[in-house]
Amino acid sequence: MYQLPKLPMFKVKLTRRSVLKLGALTAAAVAVGVPLGNFKVASVQAADAGASQPKQLGFYHNQATCIGCKRCVNACKSKYKWEKGAEWRKLLTKETPEGDLYLSIACNHCADPACLKVCPVGAYTKRAKDGIVIQDPAKCVGCGYCVYACPYHAPQLVKEESGAVHKCNFCYELQDEGNPPACVKACPKKALRFGDINELRKEQGVSEPDIKGLPPIELTQPSFVIVPAEHSAGEEE
Amino acid sequence: MELHWGWLIGIYLFLGGLGAGAYLTSFAAEKGVLGDAASLKKVGYYIASPVVAFGALLLVFDLGQGLRKPWLILGMFLNLRSVMTWGIYILSAFILVGLIRAYYAWKNKKSPQALTWLGAILALATGSYTGMLLAVVEAVPFWNTILTPVLFVLSALSTGLSATSLLAHFMEKGELKEGRLCQAHLALVLAEIIVLGLFIQRAASGVRGMAAQESAAKLISGSLAVPFWVILVALGLVGPFFLYAVNARKQRPRLQIQTNPPTLAEQEQAAAKLHHVGAAPAICACDAAVMLGSLSLRCLFVFAAVPIWNLTLG
Repeated sequence: MYQLPKLPMFKVKLTRRSVLKLGALTAAAVAVGVPLGNFKVASVQAADAGASQPKQLGFYHNQATCIGCKRCVNACKSKYKWEKGAEWRKLLTKETPEGDLYLSIACNHCADPACLKVCPVGAYTKRAKDGIVIQDPAKCVGCGYCVYACPYHAPQLVKEESGAVHKCNFCYELQDEGNPPACVKACPKKALRFGDINELRKEQGVSEPDIKGLPPIELTQPSFVIVPAEHSAGEEE
Repeated sequence: MELHWGWLIGIYLFLGGLGAGAYLTSFAAEKGVLGDAASLKKVGYYIASPVVAFGALLLVFDLGQGLRKPWLILGMFLNLRSVMTWGIYILSAFILVGLIRAYYAWKNKKSPQALTWLGAILALATGSYTGMLLAVVEAVPFWNTILTPVLFVLSALSTGLSATSLLAHFMEKGELKEGRLCQAHLALVLAEIIVLGLFIQRAASGVRGMAAQESAAKLISGSLAVPFWVILVALGLVGPFFLYAVNARKQRPRLQIQTNPPTLAEQEQAAAKLHHVGAAPAICACDAAVMLGSLSLRCLFVFAAVPIWNLTLG
């Protein structure tokens, strides 16, 4: 050990090697660790942005007053001429002894949208003025990554049709003209509403959509509130 | 509800891993870790780039717009937050560097160290990426663990080693000196068995949520049970483990000789003896089985995806 060849040479060799090795290790750590870390940072930033920016539009669905007429679904379907097999808005039904239970759900225009983060081509944008998450099918390459990433199954990809993702865009064009989204307008019971999510969250009986087996809201921080059936039923008696 | 990824994605992830592992096999052979077979130091470099490029081409066919508006693929470099975009950069760089490195190997020229190391780093990144692509999807709990890239990297190394040594066997017409190949195979397959076991156990136990548990059930006793147990576990992992273990034991006497330095002729004799025992065909079959197992691992992971919410009201 102590009789190494000429010290300078050894030093140079050692430095070069160790630098290369260090480089390799760092790169490996980066390759493995950064995407996860990156996502954590991103979601923290998104959360901050959500807190400091009051304007985030969201949907409100009252399960107690919804009659399951599906007019919200059909209004969306006819306005946007869904591809065969696509469902921008869904009316989920559960049979219970007290009668059917409904949930009308589309894109939740999340504060921390998973679709936006995974989309390789940047087809998703979140509008600064109202937090609407808009997806541009003209940019979409059809990889399907967002379909996996969204816990609410909002992005719709039909390979046999256009092969590009489409989803609820909150009727942003109608909204920019001062009109409500087509689904909200179609609801005869005002069970489906929309508005500033911070205001909607203050309403009586509302709950975050983390009930009844739905995904944990921490994943994407959805801009969606529900009035659960049991709760309002109890209140109305 | 329909999940879109299928065979093509599975094969793409497999080929990404294979190419990365092949490069690292030749890299390790060059550094003297795997013995002194000349072809091992080259074959991996030859196949790495084409294999990954072919996999990427398959991906194009899987894209909804791949054949309709292929120019949109250029947009895949744009969102630097997307792991898929990272992958596009890593794969592109690896294909390029791998090609240049293969040229040096082909021409028997000494490659610049920096190039060889850059390729090795990119190979490791490619192997990790195939796992990270799935691991960051929080809405598919089965994938959403750091064990996914760990398992995929191990599988990539194992597959790359198998593909490279299999080709090296053919290139040297069955005269390939095994060196420490078997030990390397054995270590990787064992590590893969342990990590896969841990992975499935954690998912099946329910600690990672109901959706992950459902994915594990699909593999253990559900619709994917036959390929899981027969192709991945038996053929791809446990079988090769025993064959590599038996072969490594056979090699032990030779290794003992090596400890009191043998002459080159003695080494050749020992190696030749080994082949007369008929180890090579079995080892070749083993290599092929490991590759098949690795392909099934990627496909099974893609097919086992269960979303965190299946649109039912609880």
